[in-house]
Amino acid sequence: MQNLKLVSSGKQGRRTKIKVGSVVIGEGFVVVGGPCGVESEEQTIRTAEAVKAGGGMMFRGGAFKPRTSPYDFQGLGLEGLKILAKARDLTGLPIVTEVIDPRDVSWVCEFADILQIGARNMQNFSLLKEVGRSPKPVLLKRGMYSTLKEWLNCAEYILAEGNPNVILCERGIRTFETYTRNTLDLSMIPALKELTHLPVMVDPSHGTGKLSLVEKMSLAAIAAGADGLLVEVHINPCEAKSDADQQLNPEQFKQLMQKIRKLEQFMADPLFNTSITGGKEQ
Amino acid sequence: MKLDEIRHRIDLIDSKILKLLNDRMEQGLLAKRFKDQIVDPRREEEIMEKVKHNPNALVEKDFSEDLYKIILTQSKKLQGRELIITGFQGEHGAYSEEAVRLYNKDYVTLPCVTFNEVFEGVNSGMYDYGIVPVENTLGGIVGPVNELLLNTDLQIIGAIDMPVHHCLLMVPGTDHREIREVYSHSQALAQCRRFLSRNNLTPVPYFDTAGAAMMLAEKQPRGAACIAGKLAAKLYNLEVLKENIEDLSKNRTRFLLLSKGLPAEEGSKCTITFTTEHKAGTLFGVLELFASSGINLTRIESIPNEPGDYSFFLDFDGSFKDPNVIKTLEQAEKQTAGFKLLGCYNEKVIED
Repeated sequence: MQNLKLVSSGKQGRRTKIKVGSVVIGEGFVVVGGPCGVESEEQTIRTAEAVKAGGGMMFRGGAFKPRTSPYDFQGLGLEGLKILAKARDLTGLPIVTEVIDPRDVSWVCEFADILQIGARNMQNFSLLKEVGRSPKPVLLKRGMYSTLKEWLNCAEYILAEGNPNVILCERGIRTFETYTRNTLDLSMIPALKELTHLPVMVDPSHGTGKLSLVEKMSLAAIAAGADGLLVEVHINPCEAKSDADQQLNPEQFKQLMQKIRKLEQFMADPLFNTSITGGKEQ
Repeated sequence: MKLDEIRHRIDLIDSKILKLLNDRMEQGLLAKRFKDQIVDPRREEEIMEKVKHNPNALVEKDFSEDLYKIILTQSKKLQGRELIITGFQGEHGAYSEEAVRLYNKDYVTLPCVTFNEVFEGVNSGMYDYGIVPVENTLGGIVGPVNELLLNTDLQIIGAIDMPVHHCLLMVPGTDHREIREVYSHSQALAQCRRFLSRNNLTPVPYFDTAGAAMMLAEKQPRGAACIAGKLAAKLYNLEVLKENIEDLSKNRTRFLLLSKGLPAEEGSKCTITFTTEHKAGTLFGVLELFASSGINLTRIESIPNEPGDYSFFLDFDGSFKDPNVIKTLEQAEKQTAGFKLLGCYNEKVIED
């Protein structure tokens, strides 16, 4: 692929590993759990404790929410960031949170460990440049109408500004299928693994929008070779202010984690390190 | 205008009223130092007369009279107590004030504009004690204080070494994205230099950290924040945008407590000051005395005096009642000029 100087894997087949606190993304399988939005201190901290107890390695939560309607809950903003930082102090879990405004980038860096660029902002180039100049790793979600090539070009923007730590996150795309919220495109995982050295994660919560599908797609993501998951967990999903239909409760998250660990052990067999190569190059 | 905006203003006014009441009580305590008796009926009558005829339409006569009866009663009650007054440089909420509260929470703290005012105030008997910062782990020595120490007759009766954690404070409701300028004392700004630069904030020096907080709360300049301690945030009703913004987490300041008299208890640490002749080995000769007596030096500082002339500060572990210390000091005095024992005191170390 042309013009992807920095994100391409090259011949050596090197892999980017990103160290965040005691977690290394690109080594083993990293699960990030947490609510869609930071709604209150109590909800956030209780969820963070549940994520930790369930075996999650990082905590996610939105303080700035890009919402379809301007009348929907927009997030707690700065207050939300302070709550997330408190959750990290209490649980030790590193924080992943979305940034939607270039003016917020330095402030989000003050409170969080990984900056998330949401699907709706994947091609917001001024935002990409700003996070490219920041010292924190960036989790770049795939835009809901984007091709793989467009997505990698966005990662290239960030690397070109000097930030080498980008994590790609597949979260589903819009297709003619309406049963699921999005069509989770798991074929992207092995494709990205061929094309780029960057770690790849999967968000099965947004990818399906259906609680009953989250677990199976999570396991499929591991089998497909993903480096981790971003999964929505809420202390009380029925009362969530956003994405109430796709967030796991703590017990469901714990069960999911047990299955993930089991499958991870199975996948650790060196047999899975090789794959069929060849075919016609594009 | 919405109800919550008005309520927000009311909260600000309330915090100012309480601050002014505190200021008034402070002045009462100071006035007592110049009076023979606490109660002065003529002065009270004078006050009540002015208060009754105040020109503020909504502060009605009956109300103002009732209010001032309560205020005067409280003021007299405070004057009746044997309160210990400690002067500090800065506005209320300054780190020096936090230091006093940590040293002894019962001491009453009174703000002074300059370090000199602290020394003068203790000298004149207006304050019982004064507290001054002498050195900071990031910023080094506090020059003006060390100069004043050289020429004072006051005694050091205590010391406190405490962690200093800076906070970025703003007027509640400010959009953090609009903040461009950050006001604070130049030392505090220097200790948060990297934080300011990575957030594209312009440092604006102000005479004092808590003073910057007070100014921010009162004038509410657009696009501005300040660096001060948590106590200042509470006193001036400011929102803590971020805690612990200092570039190095091990940021500590050492303060000295000064008095006209000697400390009540025996100390374990001493401070001396002296100058030496311009001859090879004179300073070494003094230091050698301490080395051969086995006395541990904890601080040595030189302060330029007149051009080409330096004064030295020496802190060491030991009591001036210890014969070994007495003997060493006698010998040191013979070898130096302007020798002075600034004090023998105990030091309180506050851990993080």
